[in-house]
Amino acid sequence: MNAPQAPGVTTSAAVSAVGLSKRYGELAAVEGLDLEIAPGEFFGLLGPNGSGKTTTMHMLATLVRPSAGTARVAGFDIAGAPVQVRASIGLVFQESALDRTLTVAQNLRFAGLLHDLPPRVIEERGRELLELFDLTGRRDQPVAALSGGMRRALDIVRGVLHQPRCLLLDEPTIGLDLPNRRRIWRFIERLRARTGMTVLLTTHYLEEADGCDRVVFIRKGRLVESGAPRELVARLGRYILEVEGADLDGLAAALEQKLGPALREGDVAHFRCRDEDLALLAQLQAESGGKASAWRVRRPNLNDVFLWVAAGKRVA
Amino acid sequence: MPIRPIYAVLERELLRMVRQRTRLVAAMVRPLIWLLVIGGGFAAIAGADYKSFLVPGVLGMTMLFGAMLAALGTVYDKESGVMRMMLVAPLPRAWMVVAKLIAAAVAAAVQALLLLVLLALLGYVGRGSEWGLLAAAIAATSFACAGIGMLTASFCRTLENFAGIMNFVIFPVFFLSGSLYPVRELPPLLYWAATLNPYTYGVDLLKHALLRGGAGADFSVALDLAVLAAATLASAAVASWRFSRESAYEPMIHVPAGRAR
Repeated sequence: MNAPQAPGVTTSAAVSAVGLSKRYGELAAVEGLDLEIAPGEFFGLLGPNGSGKTTTMHMLATLVRPSAGTARVAGFDIAGAPVQVRASIGLVFQESALDRTLTVAQNLRFAGLLHDLPPRVIEERGRELLELFDLTGRRDQPVAALSGGMRRALDIVRGVLHQPRCLLLDEPTIGLDLPNRRRIWRFIERLRARTGMTVLLTTHYLEEADGCDRVVFIRKGRLVESGAPRELVARLGRYILEVEGADLDGLAAALEQKLGPALREGDVAHFRCRDEDLALLAQLQAESGGKASAWRVRRPNLNDVFLWVAAGKRVA
Repeated sequence: MPIRPIYAVLERELLRMVRQRTRLVAAMVRPLIWLLVIGGGFAAIAGADYKSFLVPGVLGMTMLFGAMLAALGTVYDKESGVMRMMLVAPLPRAWMVVAKLIAAAVAAAVQALLLLVLLALLGYVGRGSEWGLLAAAIAATSFACAGIGMLTASFCRTLENFAGIMNFVIFPVFFLSGSLYPVRELPPLLYWAATLNPYTYGVDLLKHALLRGGAGADFSVALDLAVLAAATLASAAVASWRFSRESAYEPMIHVPAGRAR
């Protein structure tokens, strides 16, 4: 999507990757990934399980060495200056990084000292951030006593205590219930509003990625789609037709003649429709003569993009 | 030198030590059992002096167990995920090993000092001791034990095999030292094994410091210090190398399913 940068050219991008690849033996976890994320951008890395999202995050965070390709984070090369990269990023892992036996304040002190922050600064920023994340009053409780949502929030506080320029969030809301997921997003919004930091996130919950400035979809370690969420949805089509029926195979085959390839999702066939297909749809419905038990026309959303991408179909 | 990060690791280790009171109590009771029960029993065969002979050995034992358990906490940190905080910290990986090693050594030395107070109260440590040398012996032995601990930790994927570590590392290191018997009176095979064991030189140094005129010591103070320093540096170097490998963090880093190991 972006032209490769000439080597040695410093970039003002928060994150830029060129041909980033990671192979584990025969398996290509990430293959030839190019990324360019502007400072302050809210960027989503989306894709099905095992598509290479976490491996990409770990490469950018210098925890995993790429097999090929390069990347710069906050202007530092991930291979040549890993320590500076780690100093400029905050990483929130999918799983907790907290010590459950220590209190909230002790965890923050540990994380802050590891980032070479003076105790007074840890104290001050900790207080501000705990307030921002609704954790004031929990300071002296052991982490084991916090709910899952609070622990996640604390893990993010832990990740931004040193005021990184770029925050990497790997599935920040995984395993949380809906109210807690919403809370985490509110916190991230507040954080972005206050600090303007670049946020790179991965998520499965696509409706959550709607708020991103830009998203990329990766599949089997390769970038397949990228753009603003609204733009990607628009590219998919104007409408999605969902059809159910007893002889779905026959029905879908007939419709594919007119509407293009279908996406089968269990007992439902999805079709992408353009604006001008609307009249055709009414006609097709009449022709199907009751063979369809359900016939729904609706607006597409990012979930549809995800499904089409996950099925290996081009969305353009 | 990254002072604050090292201090962070040390502070957490001491917090853990204070919180895990049973571990601390065990660290005091274990050597006292050896001294009073086993020492008392063998005194019947070996003579009343045997208990005094055993004092350096049990002091060393506290350091060996204390440092090993603290260093093996690194494996626990890996399993519990706490090590993630250290992995993202902006310092070279080797410093993490150094920090853990220092923390384990300090934890061991603190336990040794506590035991020393108990031993003094019980009358087993007293005027014949050379305090300056004792301080050096505790420091050097704690570091060497922490080194052995970090080396062991760097070869452990999980703590599941803790019993194996007990049987194949801690016990041999303890028994194949001069803790329970003078090294020079061991049969040749055991003698050689004991001289190859760096911990032997820690116990030897403690004997120099605690037993009047260094009675029962097998080696010179200079040799003891040299071996302990060399063992600490060598194990720190190997552990740093082991922990600089990506695969050392596999439980915490996503490895795609189906990856051929």
